[in-house]
Amino acid sequence: MTVTSIARAVRVPSLIPRYTPTGDEIEVFELAHQNRLPVLIKGPTGCGKTRFVEHMAARLGLALYTVSCHDDLSASDLVGRHLIDASGTYWSDGPLTQAVRHGGICYLDEVVEARKDTTVVLHALSDDRRILPIDRTGEQLEAPPGFMLVVSYNPGYQHLLKGLKPSTRQRFVSLAFGFPEAGLEGEIVAGEAGVDQATAKRLVTLANALRSTADHDLEEAPGTRLIVDAAKLIAAGCDPRVACRAAIVECLSDDPEITRALMVVVLAIFGD
Amino acid sequence: MEEQVGIAWHRLISRFAARRFPEAAVLLQDISRDAALLFRALGGDHGVMVQAGAQSSHGARRSLLERLAGSGFKADLAWLDRQALRLPPLVDVFPDRQLNRDLYFWLAALCAADPRPDQPWLARNQAAVLAVSGDFPGLAARYGRLVAAEIARRPPISRMAPDEARQEQAIRDALQKPGSVAELPAARRPPHPVLLWLRPELPAAGKPRFGARPEPASQAASALQSDKKRRMAEHAEMPERKGGLLLFRPESIFSWTEYAKVEHETQENEDQDLARAADDLDIIAVAQDSKSVAKKLRMSLDLSPAEGDGSPLEGNGMLPEWDYRSHTLKPDQCRVNTILLADALPCALPAHLKRDQQRLRRQFAALQPLRQRLKAQPEGSEIDIDPYIRHLAHRSGAEGGFYLDQRKRDRDLACLLLADLSLSTEAWVGDGRRVIDVIRDSLFLFSEALSVSRDRFALYGFSSKQRSDVRFHTLKAFNEPYGDAVRGRINAVSPGYYTRMGAAIRRAAQILERQKARERLLLLLTDGKPNDADHYEGRYGIEDTRKALIAARQQGLRPFCVTVDQEAHEYLPHIFGKDNFIIIRKSSELPARLPLLYALLTR
Ligand SMILES: Nc1ncnc2c1ncn2[C@@H]1O[C@H](COP(=O)(O)OP(=O)(O)OP(=O)(O)O)[C@@H](O)[C@H]1O
Ligand SMILES: [Mg+2]
Repeated sequence: MTVTSIARAVRVPSLIPRYTPTGDEIEVFELAHQNRLPVLIKGPTGCGKTRFVEHMAARLGLALYTVSCHDDLSASDLVGRHLIDASGTYWSDGPLTQAVRHGGICYLDEVVEARKDTTVVLHALSDDRRILPIDRTGEQLEAPPGFMLVVSYNPGYQHLLKGLKPSTRQRFVSLAFGFPEAGLEGEIVAGEAGVDQATAKRLVTLANALRSTADHDLEEAPGTRLIVDAAKLIAAGCDPRVACRAAIVECLSDDPEITRALMVVVLAIFGD
Repeated sequence: MEEQVGIAWHRLISRFAARRFPEAAVLLQDISRDAALLFRALGGDHGVMVQAGAQSSHGARRSLLERLAGSGFKADLAWLDRQALRLPPLVDVFPDRQLNRDLYFWLAALCAADPRPDQPWLARNQAAVLAVSGDFPGLAARYGRLVAAEIARRPPISRMAPDEARQEQAIRDALQKPGSVAELPAARRPPHPVLLWLRPELPAAGKPRFGARPEPASQAASALQSDKKRRMAEHAEMPERKGGLLLFRPESIFSWTEYAKVEHETQENEDQDLARAADDLDIIAVAQDSKSVAKKLRMSLDLSPAEGDGSPLEGNGMLPEWDYRSHTLKPDQCRVNTILLADALPCALPAHLKRDQQRLRRQFAALQPLRQRLKAQPEGSEIDIDPYIRHLAHRSGAEGGFYLDQRKRDRDLACLLLADLSLSTEAWVGDGRRVIDVIRDSLFLFSEALSVSRDRFALYGFSSKQRSDVRFHTLKAFNEPYGDAVRGRINAVSPGYYTRMGAAIRRAAQILERQKARERLLLLLTDGKPNDADHYEGRYGIEDTRKALIAARQQGLRPFCVTVDQEAHEYLPHIFGKDNFIIIRKSSELPARLPLLYALLTR
């Protein structure tokens, strides 16, 4: 039996993706990496979790293996499986195994969505043993210093029945992401989308106004991503009100009464 | 003929005098949802609702026309109190519809911002205008147009006495250049009301106090004794008497009382303040601290004297209640009396539900219970590729489970249905049916459906008569079978009294918590807000219910509310959370929809 690796969606970016820190997350991440500790990032949607991990991978010069978890994701999707071709069966590494074999960051996005059995394979890897036992091949891989496990999830969508077990949670260094403070978020928006400072500032005011209605009127607060998207439309010449409707308001609710009321807030900022 | 001319003249002159534009009118009900969201977006409290405020008398000089027409004593102003954001019920003061609409949004924004509520009227409003227009350019632009229209609407300076002209000029300067006027020049009369600003002195006094010395007050008692003054502030919430029971009472009474009690407690001239406020507001107030006054009112509001004081009740198993004003969970506040309906006669399912019953039985039997995929089984309906390949790879015959099997998973859940049996369920919903009939049918069909799906369930109903008598009707306990005896009890439900929702939820949670099930659903069926015949009203009831639900969630229960109250979107998101309730638009559809809703919820 031969053991082969097949190529995965690995990103080794040549440029470091732009990321504006909102606190001391960069230092904490670097120290966690130096000390071989896994990291958990939690925060609402579109607050820069993925961007941060991409940034850190590039900054540390590590390959990044990203897995978006879903409720059908099983342990063998992470670890690997036997496949068949004309010459017989062969073993194919999953993204987790690849990262452990070759070094790099394995980033599990939305881990809570994954099936319970997947978190079990993470246990031996995320404590000080740092080993990945592959029972199918009988291998026991020891993670090199360049390997790092990063998981993220959005506490907002926490299911009643889903959620991380305390024994899993307590293995990670945890970073809580929120929305950046207004001035900083304005800079991020201006930098990402290339709009002027004044427009960026208005968009951030809008975002924060809409955020304070979350829970009552909205399922989830608008993230930086929506604001950046609206800013990009505006930078490309779109009327701000049209851009805000298309890139923000309609993304937040399907209820026509709510979108109408949200537009009142948009006009409070972008009305002539 | 002469009389007709007289009437026509009066109409004409009233219209001129009022300077109103009915063709450009905007109604609060049409924009209240938008205004509420804007209010929250600008930082307003999620717990307050948008409601029509009473008119405030302003004491300013009236125009000749107004004096001829005998009108213009009062103006519609906006303010925020602990209960609600009070906006005019209708705005028609500007000739342009858009301006009238903008005035609503402007006032909602101003109430949300209001950075200096402690300042005198003039300074406070200028600060609020600056705060809003600084952050919200769209509103600032509208404010500019509103100021122009407001100044055009105001009485001309040229016809004023010198002192009043100075005062008016200061107001106009403050409107046009907010922040520029430090003090209001004294004048014999208060200024003409400013519709773009918040009402002077929140929230008690109707008559503006402009930072000048307090006026001499009349006696609190005499103010309240006079029957002519027994007018209510809220048209929308006029009390209705049905069978000697007060159904709804104006929340303003309570906001006012709470205000009087909470905010004025430390003031020395409390009596005077109370009296003046009562006088000016033209409403009765329950002045809790002033004993003689309070007694009179309690009589008229059917309150027994001991109820309002919040002292703990004697006995076992009393339930606590959350007081949002003091942020405390007060122990032993409510007595729950369990009522068994023992004398209800057993009966069969009413004939008019037979067809629904058959349909539901089919639907619920066909509703496939959740299936689970079991991997690597020795037998099953599909091949499990993974172990098979593993088997080929290792060329070993040891592993035998190559199949995927589907198995029914047990629906391990318990549901407690809690039905609101308050007096408001006596209201008619059309087709000669009342809300209570709809609730009764819902209970029947719900039970029919669940007895097919074999989910464990219990049925309870509740109403209340103040905190010492929360009535909790057992219709079906968890361990009871659903049969004619239970149907008899459902058949016997009738409208009770008030809706002390928090206590009922706490009791229901206690019962449901004892059930051992993976998922435990607490389903509340209601037609309105929490309320009771004491201080349990408005915001107090809402916050208490919210706290009871937070506690239930912490116990691992899952609360969900089904309501037929079309206004529920104003308060249910705050109480239950955005996705934990549903408003049934046509209440007659509730019986048929409830079981399906349940199926969706527990899928
Ligand atoms: N601190 C930041 N610096 C630079 N850009 C940022 C930052 N925060 C957010 N962004 C912008 O927001 C966008 C969305 O961020 P990202 O995709 O990382 O969100 P996320 O937290 O991973 O969301 P989700 O939970 O939905 O996956 C990015 O593409 C980037 O434009
Ligand atoms: Mg992401």
